[in-house]
Amino acid sequence: MKILDIALNDFTRSVRSLFAIGMMVVAPLVITGLIYVAFSGAGSENSDLPIIQVGIVNLDQVPADVPVALGKTLADMYFDESVAGYIQPKIYPGEASVRSAINNQEIQAAVIIPAGMTAALMANQSVPPVRILQDPTLTIGPMVVKNMAQSLLDGIYGGSIAVQVHRQRFAVHGIAENSINLQSIIHDYEGWFTAFQRELFHSPQAALVLVTPQSAGEEAPSADPMAGILGQIMTGQMIFFAFFTGAYSMQSILKEQEEGTLARLFTTPTPRLTILGGKFLAVVFTVCGQGLVLLLVGRLLFKVQWGTPTSVLLTMLGQVASATGLGVLLISFVKHERQAGPVIGGGLTALGMLGGLFTVGMQMPEAFTRLANFIPQGWVLHAWRLSLNGAPSAEVFTTCLILVGMGATMFAIGGLRFNRRFA
Amino acid sequence: MNDDLAIEVKELRKSFGSLQAVRGISFQAAKGEILSLLGPNGAGKSTTISMLAGLIAPDGGQASIMGHSITSQPHQARACVGVVPQDIALYPDLSARENLSFWGKMYGLRGAMLKSRVEEVLQVIGLTERQHDRVGAFSGGMKRRVNIGAALLHTPAVIIMDEPTVGIDPQSRRYILDNVKELMRQGMTVLYTTHYMEEAAELSDHIAIMDQGQIIAYGTHDELIRLVGEQTRLDLGLSVEAEGILPAWQEVEGVFQATASDGIATVLVDDSNRVLPRLFESAGKAGVRINSVDIHEPNLESVFLHLTGKALRDD
Ligand SMILES: Nc1ncnc2c1ncn2[C@@H]1O[C@H](COP(=O)(O)OP(=O)(O)O)[C@@H](O)[C@H]1O
Ligand SMILES: [Mg+2]
Repeated sequence: MKILDIALNDFTRSVRSLFAIGMMVVAPLVITGLIYVAFSGAGSENSDLPIIQVGIVNLDQVPADVPVALGKTLADMYFDESVAGYIQPKIYPGEASVRSAINNQEIQAAVIIPAGMTAALMANQSVPPVRILQDPTLTIGPMVVKNMAQSLLDGIYGGSIAVQVHRQRFAVHGIAENSINLQSIIHDYEGWFTAFQRELFHSPQAALVLVTPQSAGEEAPSADPMAGILGQIMTGQMIFFAFFTGAYSMQSILKEQEEGTLARLFTTPTPRLTILGGKFLAVVFTVCGQGLVLLLVGRLLFKVQWGTPTSVLLTMLGQVASATGLGVLLISFVKHERQAGPVIGGGLTALGMLGGLFTVGMQMPEAFTRLANFIPQGWVLHAWRLSLNGAPSAEVFTTCLILVGMGATMFAIGGLRFNRRFA
Repeated sequence: MNDDLAIEVKELRKSFGSLQAVRGISFQAAKGEILSLLGPNGAGKSTTISMLAGLIAPDGGQASIMGHSITSQPHQARACVGVVPQDIALYPDLSARENLSFWGKMYGLRGAMLKSRVEEVLQVIGLTERQHDRVGAFSGGMKRRVNIGAALLHTPAVIIMDEPTVGIDPQSRRYILDNVKELMRQGMTVLYTTHYMEEAAELSDHIAIMDQGQIIAYGTHDELIRLVGEQTRLDLGLSVEAEGILPAWQEVEGVFQATASDGIATVLVDDSNRVLPRLFESAGKAGVRINSVDIHEPNLESVFLHLTGKALRDD
């Protein structure tokens, strides 16, 4: 089969290229590995945990007669000695100063507590949101900071509900509401909650584990919480580099065009469709190979539980189909090899970002999340989340079907363009 | 259709935009002969070969290889020809053996047959020792040899070589020229393009001289030489600008043509022994000194000069 010979020839060349192996397999593993080493506490207990510098802006002004100050409680959490091992907080006067501190990389994340937060909560109005600013190149540190705030706010809202329930009870029983018993309720609740938080945030991993999976599926029972996080991080990396692999191996057709071997292939008694087919098949092989290696290494090295065999198979199918399709489509718009670098690098980074690959585990604005529905990478990520979380195969199957459809469409357009170019 | 013809080209035409690269050329190569297309850079040799190899479609005209039309039976035509492209077209990251093996498969060879042909070709191109080395690490001459070898694997009836000796060392060139002769001895038909007249002279049964998209002369080496008659070319170095003496030399008996450039006068004469003394005499009268004399008995270079008024090589 000449089509297989051509595909295998391409595959062999990719595997032999140090650059290709580096980008396809080594880079995603190294990135995941670095994160692993940084957070697994390998070595002595706390010494190599990264210190997260956090800027805090507290705009929540509370009148002297109000017994609670939510903004201060939130800010104090970052100063608590239980988190001193990995959080280094600093107070800033306003948003402008804290932004410039992030830009100058003095801090990695900032918590901005809005004005009127306590007042709104007390008046039972909707509370203005706490905002987290972050260094866009980082993910882990800001994630820890964000999850800490999230968890505290969840607690506070819970507390506010508790207060209201008490008030209603008092009213029902005709007990006059006075600031003394309200204060004692709040005080008790605060005491309990602070202890709870201390317990919760004994290490940054603990804060990370709070990351809530965004899928509808149930959270997989995972013995090692670190493996769950690594699974998510590695998924993002694997998808990004799978799409890179698709485009990169399709790029070999441009290289062959410039090296003259493509023209030479056309002088042999081999139909042009076979030649193009062989090239496309090579992309499929390479993306498959890359994915399998990463799945295996992820399982062995980082103990990632990818999901049931059926889910993994379906998700891989979707990943291979869409990464191949996008690779063929992208490269069909490129005329020369030297243009391919920017197209692959820029295009895939942008798509990866929009698909949510670099913000795995973070709560993103809804518009952003919705955008990912138009991006193949976003769907692959969705499929892996389902698989990681042990969602039913039927749900994974639907996602896989969407991915195969997307891949087939992109492949058809790209393939037709190539056919027109060379036949 | 003539059964003795390996290659038959009739009125083949190709333009790139407004540039007429090949302007309706016709030629034939009999089975088992070496035919050279000799012409300067830009003459249209590679374009002609690209059409024969099925890489680009002709604008008009016909061509067949071993009786198979390149337009209506391209697959059959391609199966009986091996094309050696002008530029090296190999996979630099694969070894010589892997390259040959891959190209053999593309010509439809498999299994034991493929293996034995790869080994034979490695022998022929003299790279058995280096077969496992990456082609990218080879010298220019060695790459050229693999480039040729890749077209020989399926023992094609016709082999088309586009300037296979450009830019290589004399030793590799010798090797290639001897290979080409050996191929012909084995019964292959060779279409060989070159802008080196020595190669055309040494190898060819027939030579087609090509210029500006046309074949301006065709014949055996001796037939072509006869086109310039018995003319001998004299290159004379002069002490002054040559233009002044040219009109006087045009009048000398036995001189066909006198031209000049850069202080060298080029004079085509019937017999140098008779004419040279007259040129010296005429120069003496005009007060011009002749510093050097080069005598060139007629060759393909002079044929080209005679036909086009310009030199074959610009280098
Ligand atoms: N693909 C092309 N597009 C435009 N012009 C071309 C192309 N290929 C060849 N030419 C032009 O056609 C002429 C003949 O070129 P070519 O066949 O390569 O000559 P040769 O092989 O004899 O040196 C040249 O003027 C060349 O610039
Ligand atoms: Mg050429």
